[in-house]
Amino acid sequence: MTPQDISKLIVRTSMKDRGAFDVLYRQTSAKLFGVCLRVLNDRAEAEEALQEVYVKIWTKADRFAVSDLSPISWLVAIARNHSIDRIRQRRRPAADLDEAIDIADPSPGPEALAVAGGERARIYSCLEELEADRAAAVRGAYITGESYAELAERYKVPLNTMRTWLRRSLMKLRECLER
Amino acid sequence: MNGTDDSERGLGGDDAVAAEYVLGTLDADERQAAARRLDADAAFARLVDRWEVILSPMADRYGSVEAPASAKQAIDRRLFASTASQPVQKAGLWSSLAFWRGLAVAAVAAAAIAIAVPLMTPPAPPAHMMVASLAPQQSDVHYLVVYDGTKGEIGLSHVSGERASGRDFELWVIEGNQQPRSLGVIPVGARMTMPVSPEMKDKVAAGAVFAISLEPRGGSTTGAPTGPVVAAGNLRDI
Repeated sequence: MTPQDISKLIVRTSMKDRGAFDVLYRQTSAKLFGVCLRVLNDRAEAEEALQEVYVKIWTKADRFAVSDLSPISWLVAIARNHSIDRIRQRRRPAADLDEAIDIADPSPGPEALAVAGGERARIYSCLEELEADRAAAVRGAYITGESYAELAERYKVPLNTMRTWLRRSLMKLRECLER
Repeated sequence: MNGTDDSERGLGGDDAVAAEYVLGTLDADERQAAARRLDADAAFARLVDRWEVILSPMADRYGSVEAPASAKQAIDRRLFASTASQPVQKAGLWSSLAFWRGLAVAAVAAAAIAIAVPLMTPPAPPAHMMVASLAPQQSDVHYLVVYDGTKGEIGLSHVSGERASGRDFELWVIEGNQQPRSLGVIPVGARMTMPVSPEMKDKVAAGAVFAISLEPRGGSTTGAPTGPVVAAGNLRDI
């Protein structure tokens, strides 16, 4: 499936084409389940989140037309944001953390779906320009959806310091990517 | 690093909120507030989209995990159980867009096929279609545009915003740095189609900008927009 194929499936889903929606689910659900599982860290909750994510995709597919994201990134953003919304509504059980990290270690696999190799290489080289712990905090926040409070606790700094670190890191990251 | 440096160089305002929403670090209340703004505030939504684009390459760290088979069944139950006798939902913008293109019939057929033969690949999409969301420009005027290159026709769906009395909305296409070219006055209504002349078809290409201006009744008499642009957006291939 090329990104163009996924785009067509999303647009046809927005026209309430169930056939297209079924194919879209088959082609993308493993990636989005990986996202839900990594953020939520609990299989049952991740499955429930995945259901809600595809309900959102069915009802909000028309919004893809106004996004600059690649189709798979747009779908991942829905899954990520929804999963982060869910963890913000509860306290995270720390016990399963290791398991989640095992599940979702980088194995890009057959997702030629994902972003182009060049962009990927660039964001990592830009992350390397940040101090190591700041880069790790950005990655940790993005991948697992850690809140400022959680990051502040892990790095043993006041919450406002963490906020300042990350805002500054994001700005440097954007400047680097736009150079 | 020191604090002064931070306050000088850090992100601020909506840009910071958008970045933090995308990064995922906001707390529950802040996230809810940001999500509400995403629906209501197009400028904020664009900031968020920009940050999603910047950070999205990191998502390659997510591995793929096969979802349990029960998940898709549950999704179909949630979405379609209550409408089993009426698979095509009538609500929603896109189903009305589908209507003007005569696609509702095709969608019903596709849904019926999908129910009968779940693994069948759906039929090929219509050739050469593009969409644009003409977002409000300091107004509340919002239209959705679907361009059908095969038919040489533009479908418009009115989302919000009324024309002032005695005035008309006129649709323009702008290609690169060229002068805007009129596609005509937009008929009043919730959804309508406008023909595109063969000459204008060459102007309508991916990346072209559609804009709507407020004009005297009957449209601009000068051949160029005379009133304010109330909505605009890029045409995208689908």
